[in-house]
Formats: sequence, C-alpha cells, structure tokens
Amino acid sequence: MPVLAAFLYCFCLWWSILASADEFGVVVKSAEMKLQGDSYVLAAEFDYQLSMRAKEALENGIPLYWVVQVKVLQHRDILWNKTLVEGTIRYKIQYHALLNMYRIKNEYTSEVTNFSTLAAALDSMSKVRNFSVIDKAALAPDQHYFAAVQVKLDRDSLPLPLRPTAYVSPQWFLSSAWYVWSLTN
Amino acid sequence: MVPDKLKPPIGVSIFILFALILLSLQLMSSATQESSELSAMYSWLLLVNALGSVVLLGLVGANIYSLARHTKRREAGSRLTARMVSLFVVLALAPAAIVFYFSMQFLHQGIDSWFNVEIDRAMEDALELSQASLDQRMRWHLRQAEQLAEKLSNSSETLATLELENLRELAGASEMTLFSRQGRIIASSSINPGDILPSLPDEHTWLQLRQNGDYVALAPVRDDELMIRVIVSVKTKDPQYLQVLYPVPVRIADLADSVEFAFVRYQEMNFLRNSLKLSFSLALSLVLLMSLLAAIWVAFISIRNIIAPVKELVKGTQAVASGHYDQIVPVLAQDDLGFLVESFNDMTQRIARAHDETRLAGLEVENQRAYLETILANLTAGVISFDADYKIRTANQAAYRIFHIHVNHFIGRSLLELVTDYSELAEPLKSIQRLLEQADDIWQQRIAFLGSNGRQELLCRGTPLFSQEGSRVGAVVVFDDVTDLIQAQKNAAWGEVARRLAHEIKNPLTPIQLSAERLQHKLADKLEVGDAEMLQRSTRTIVQQVEAMKEMVDDFSEYAKPSKKQTVSIDLSALVQEVLALYMARPGVKFKAAYEAGRLMIKGDPVSLRQVLHNLVKNALEAIDVQGVIEISVHRVQKNNADFIEITLYDDGPGIKEEQMEKIFEPYVTTKAKGTGLGLAIVKKIIEEHGGAIWVDASRRLPEMADVSQSSGSRCDKVGAGFIIQLPACNFEQL
Repeated sequence: MPVLAAFLYCFCLWWSILASADEFGVVVKSAEMKLQGDSYVLAAEFDYQLSMRAKEALENGIPLYWVVQVKVLQHRDILWNKTLVEGTIRYKIQYHALLNMYRIKNEYTSEVTNFSTLAAALDSMSKVRNFSVIDKAALAPDQHYFAAVQVKLDRDSLPLPLRPTAYVSPQWFLSSAWYVWSLTN
Repeated sequence: MVPDKLKPPIGVSIFILFALILLSLQLMSSATQESSELSAMYSWLLLVNALGSVVLLGLVGANIYSLARHTKRREAGSRLTARMVSLFVVLALAPAAIVFYFSMQFLHQGIDSWFNVEIDRAMEDALELSQASLDQRMRWHLRQAEQLAEKLSNSSETLATLELENLRELAGASEMTLFSRQGRIIASSSINPGDILPSLPDEHTWLQLRQNGDYVALAPVRDDELMIRVIVSVKTKDPQYLQVLYPVPVRIADLADSVEFAFVRYQEMNFLRNSLKLSFSLALSLVLLMSLLAAIWVAFISIRNIIAPVKELVKGTQAVASGHYDQIVPVLAQDDLGFLVESFNDMTQRIARAHDETRLAGLEVENQRAYLETILANLTAGVISFDADYKIRTANQAAYRIFHIHVNHFIGRSLLELVTDYSELAEPLKSIQRLLEQADDIWQQRIAFLGSNGRQELLCRGTPLFSQEGSRVGAVVVFDDVTDLIQAQKNAAWGEVARRLAHEIKNPLTPIQLSAERLQHKLADKLEVGDAEMLQRSTRTIVQQVEAMKEMVDDFSEYAKPSKKQTVSIDLSALVQEVLALYMARPGVKFKAAYEAGRLMIKGDPVSLRQVLHNLVKNALEAIDVQGVIEISVHRVQKNNADFIEITLYDDGPGIKEEQMEKIFEPYVTTKAKGTGLGLAIVKKIIEEHGGAIWVDASRRLPEMADVSQSSGSRCDKVGAGFIIQLPACNFEQL
C-alpha cells in the first residue's frame, strides 16, 4: 500500500510539473450571442496557446483539428438542462513544408487560408463572427436559457500511434473549458 | 440438479469468450493499420481490451485466492490442482515471455530501421531541390512581369486595358490584373473567360508589397491549384500594380506535390517513431496478457474439471477409511478416471457387502455363544474351560454355586493361583490341576473336600481339547456336587438296613426273653442253690441283653422312619432354651447361651428338633465328662440369598479326630464305649429332612481349652467339638 501511495504521489507531481511547465491550452476570452435578424449569431474570441509537443507535431506535418462547439441549453428546475441546439465549427491546421506555410481550413465553410507564421494562423482561428446558432422563434420568452461554448482539440483525429499518449499526457490537454453564459432575450 | 441445468455449458461459454477476445484483439490489430476504418474505434478497442484484461485478471486472481484457501484447508485434490496449475503457468509463461521479448526486440529494431541519416538528408535535399526549382521559376516570372510592367508604363488606363489581353497571352499567364494603389481594379484578363472577378491580394500581401515594391509567392489559388503570384509596380502618373498569375507546369507541380507528400509523411513517421513503438508494444502486450490470462483461467477450469473425479475419489477413500462403506462416487466422465471411479465404487460395494457379511457372521457367532452361555449358565453342573497353559478361559454360574467363589472373575489365571486366595479349596483345585496336566484322555474322578458348608463331594469329568493338528489347546472340566446324592444314597441304604434289622431281629427277641423267663421260673426251684443262682444270673443277663437289643432295634426303627411328622412354626430360640433348661441342673457344667433378639422362626416338627438338641447336648455332656463349658448360640444368617437360622454348639471336650470327621454322621460311627452310633446319624437325618444342614466346625477352638492343651501336651484331646446347624428361616408372611 505505501508503494502505491508513493507511486500516485510521484505521478501527481510529474503531472503538475508537465501541466505548469508553460501555460498552454485554449481559453475562451469572450463570447456572446447577438440577435441578427431572426436568429442568434455567435461572436466569440479565443486564445490558442499550443504546447511544445503540439507545436512539434504540427511542424512535423501532423494536422491538428480544432472544434468550436456551441450549445444552447434550456434551464429546467427539476430535470437536467435540455440541449436545444448544438453547433460546431471544425478547423484543420496543417504545416506545408514545401511552401513553408501554415494552412487553415474551415471545414464549415470549406475556406482555406495560408499563413506564413503560426501566430497569424492561430490568430485567424481565434475569432468567430456571425455564426448562426439558433432561430429566435425556438426560444420561448418565459424560459431561461444558457449558451455554452468550448474549443476542443479533436484527439481522435490524431494519427493512431499518437492517440494513446494524447489521452494521458497533459501536453495534449489543450481543449478549453466550457464557457457558459446566460442568454437574455 | 436444477442449478446445473440453468447453467450454460461451460465449454460453450469458454468458446464464446475466446472468440470475443480474439475478435477484439483482431479489431485492435486492424485498427493499428492507419488506413482502416476501425482507426476511429481504436481508443474504444484499447479500453475494451484493457477492461477485458482486468476482468480476466480478476477471474484468475479469484481462482488463485480460492485455490490458496483450499490448499490451506488441505481440501481433497487442492494440492494436485495447485501443482498442475503452477506447472501449466510455468509452461505457458516461459515460451510466451521468450516470444514477447524477441517480438519487442524485432519491433523496435524494425521501426528504427525505417529511419536513418541518409534518408533524412535525401528527404530534406529533395524538398530543398523542389523549393529551389520553384524559386528559380518565380524569379524568372518576376523579371518577365517587370518587363511587362515596363511595357505598360506611361500608357493610359484605356490603352492598358486593351493591351492587357495581348500581354497576358504573350507571357503565357493565366490571369493578369492591373489595379490602382488603393486596390481598385483597372483592367483584368483571364485565361478563363468565366472568371469575372480576379483573385485579389490579401492584406498580408499588400503589406509586403508596400514594403518591397514587388511581391512574388507561390500560393494555392482556387481549388488548391498552385500558382505563382507576381505583383510589380507600374510606373505611371498614378502608381499602379500589375498582378500576374502564372500557372506552375503540371509536371513540376506534381513532382513538388509528390516530394512534399513524401517528406511530410517521412517527417510524420519520424516524429511518431516512439509513439508507434509504444502503441505496437501496447497492442502486443495486451494481446499477450489477454491470451495468457485467458489461458490460465481456462487452465483453472479444465484442471478443476479433470481433478473433480480425483477429488471425489479422495473424499470417497477418506470416507471408506473412516468406515463409511456406503460411499458412491459419481462418475463424471467416461474416460480413464471414470473407469477408476467405477472400479472404486465396485470395490467399496464389495467391501460393504463383505463387511456386512462379516458383521452378520459375527452376530450369528455371538448369538450362538450367548445361547451356549445361557445353557452353560443354567446347567447344574459346573463347567470350567482352560486354555493350553491351564489358565481359566470360561466358567459358568454353577461353578460359583459349587465352589462359592466367582470363578468368572479369575479368567486368565490358573487354578494354582486361586489356591493362594482360597486355601479351603486348595485340595480340589490342586487335584483338578494335577489331573488336567496328567490326563491325555477323558478322565473322571470323585474329589471330596471340606468346604465352608462342610464336606463336599465332587464328581469331576475332564476332557482335554486338541486342535485339528493334534496339539493340546486346552481342556474342559465338568463337575457336579454329588454330596447330597451320595448322602441320600447312604441314608436310603441305612434306612433299609435299620428297617430290616428292626423287623428281623425284633421278632425273635420277645420269644427269647419269654423263654428265658420261663426257664428261670420252671427250673429255679428244681435246681440246687448254686445252679439256681447261676441260672438266675444267666436268665437276667439274657433278659437284660434282649432289652438292650430291643432298645437298639427301636433306635434303628426310629432312624428308619420319617421324623418330620407334623410341621408347625417354631421359635427356635425358645425351643433351645426349653431343652437347655433340662440340663441346667447338671453339676460341673457351665452353659453359655446367646440368642439373637427377635423371634427366630422355622417350620418343623418340634418333637424331632427337640430330639436333635437332646442328642447334641447329650453328646457334649458325655464329651465333657466332669467339668466343662458348653456354648450355644442361635442367630440369623444369610446364605445364597436365603435366610437361615444357625445354631452353633461348642463343647470343650476332647474334640473329634480328623479321620472321623468325614464319617461322624454315618450310622454306627461312635467314639463312645456305649451307644449305638446312631445319635448323630439321626440328627443329620432330621436336619436334612427339615431342609437344613449340619456339619462339624473344625476350625473353632475354645481359648481356655487351647491353653490346657498346651500344658497337657496332648493337643487332639482337648480341642473341643463344634457343630453348626442351619435351618431355613421362616418369614413372617409364611406364618
């Protein structure tokens, strides 16, 4: 038993060192829903900070997939919250060695953009504008709604040999936490 | 056996489990191939397999725990199971470990061998080569564009619009656009007439353009088609820019693509090298672990199945060893073990049958023995059997009755050992022992001895026992107490003699007496004085002798006739006192009488009993002669569970000689000068007719007489005689 405890302690220590070595991960800086015409559109800003390992992978030609997930939830007193709608925007970022460029593909709009620096590429992903989420008609005026947004690194799209590591290493825990805010009609 | 029916057959479940494990492992192995569709399920498969391993580990652990517990409790078959399981595990583990080690080695070396410095270099060189080739082309196109811009300089916007088409065709560009510094499109020409809107530079390009004055880059434009975008400034009044899009020749583009693809792939593989090793090792370890665990688990189950009959057999053997022969071990399989179990069952059944038979036979023998013992016990004859060393093996009740000792208690001891404890029986026991040792055939002997009840006569018949081989294995002695029988015979004979004597002798006596008296009467006067006197003397003698003879004959007839004429209840102490009172007046004789308190009643004829007492007292007085003591006591005794009244009478006379002691009660035995010798015979006859017994107590010696005998020196004369009479007491209920 003491051996197990010691092992667990060491593991936690290693974990915290890895996690605090440098700040990485995605942070939702701001997010709001605006009524535009008949539907609510999402306007959000994120901050992408890649870990060393993720940068290394990217530079070695491994594409990273990011998913911006947005949800509208209806608050219910007794039952759990009901998810009214769920929208996703999927980005693919990949390094092109021949052109020495970072290419971002928005899989929602099929738009492809090339950037000569990683910072510029990440910057282009950090803003979401006019993403239509839900019709105004779908929301009842007397109910309470929440909106939640999260940016997730799609680890299942990583190359297979990398996946077992990605599931356990904090270097690959890049997804943001859910950013939840109250939706006012 | 309902639960057994509900359980699915274990073989099928094991088969299904193995199929599932194999499927899951196969799926994981397929998922490792990148192209596979299963790749998306890889994580789940990994998890499922890991969980499967944990479940199997749990199963194996539970089995090991249960086995350890059974082994600790030393349950049947547990040690064999433990040994077989450990053997199996060692056999399975050793090759698996070796294969695992070398597989890992090969795996790591194989993956490492894909990469080396030369290929690294070549890959980078190839990429650089393509980049250089494209760079050269870009520079060339830049110069061409500058020349075109030169041509367009100083021409008006309208003219430029007109010339643009020509210039584009001349330069072989796919699109040519002229736009103002603010980004307004002045003129545009495209190889595709459909493209109305030209591809405009983005902000980044503008920035570079303003800094350098020109811009050249290779960029994918529309549909990922590689294009060389060149923007140069046109020297006119208002500064303008000319953007020319040159297509990259298909061949070159393909080659560059191919190089890039290969490079990226190689880079990726290089980067993933360790991850690849890890995931392959993981898959391999999982496969091995699961197979091993499953194999061990199945080994547990199959070994348990194999051991089950052995276990039952061990239990059965233990049961048989502890005497439960009704054990039937279930036959679980029709194999060699099943055959063994069947044979075992057969054997136990036979043992059970044999055991039953033995038990029944023993019971039969026991019954027989008990039967014989009952018969022996109820025989009037005493029976004692001896072993080869003349030690007592058995003795019946009658032996006790005759000897008055519990011969039964001396089983295993010889007769001579009994002699030391029972000195009064020394004579018969020694005789029997001697006869046993000497006789080789059936012998018969009459043995007389003085027991506690007086003289006893035994008729002994001995038979030596021989085994079938002829060796002596023991002997049986049968003996009867014939004392009473002999006595009765003697009595009958004497009675007959007395009766005849009385009859034959008494008849002539009266005529003899009468004749003698007549002779006297007739001849007395005729004879002379001398003769007459002699006649008278003779006649008197005749008459006297005839009188005496008559008296004697009366005595005989007295002896011969039954004495027990009438039976009444008599208080014996009162009777004794009554008789003694008649003799009290005798000078020189002292009577010491002791009577037990209470009435000592018997049934009998008072006249006969009075005669007994008179006879005995008279005897005593005659023995004492002048001066002496007579002791009489009357008391109750218990003998053979019956009440007796015992009268003892001792005098301090000369006593009875040893040789006379045996015959003193027989008729015509007397030590006195006078007397018919019938006194004691009559006494004995009367006592016996009353169901009692009389004997001489030779052991009793009067203390003062002992002193006298020492001083006088003649021991035998002054010993004194003692008689003991026992008469059956009469209970009060019988009165």
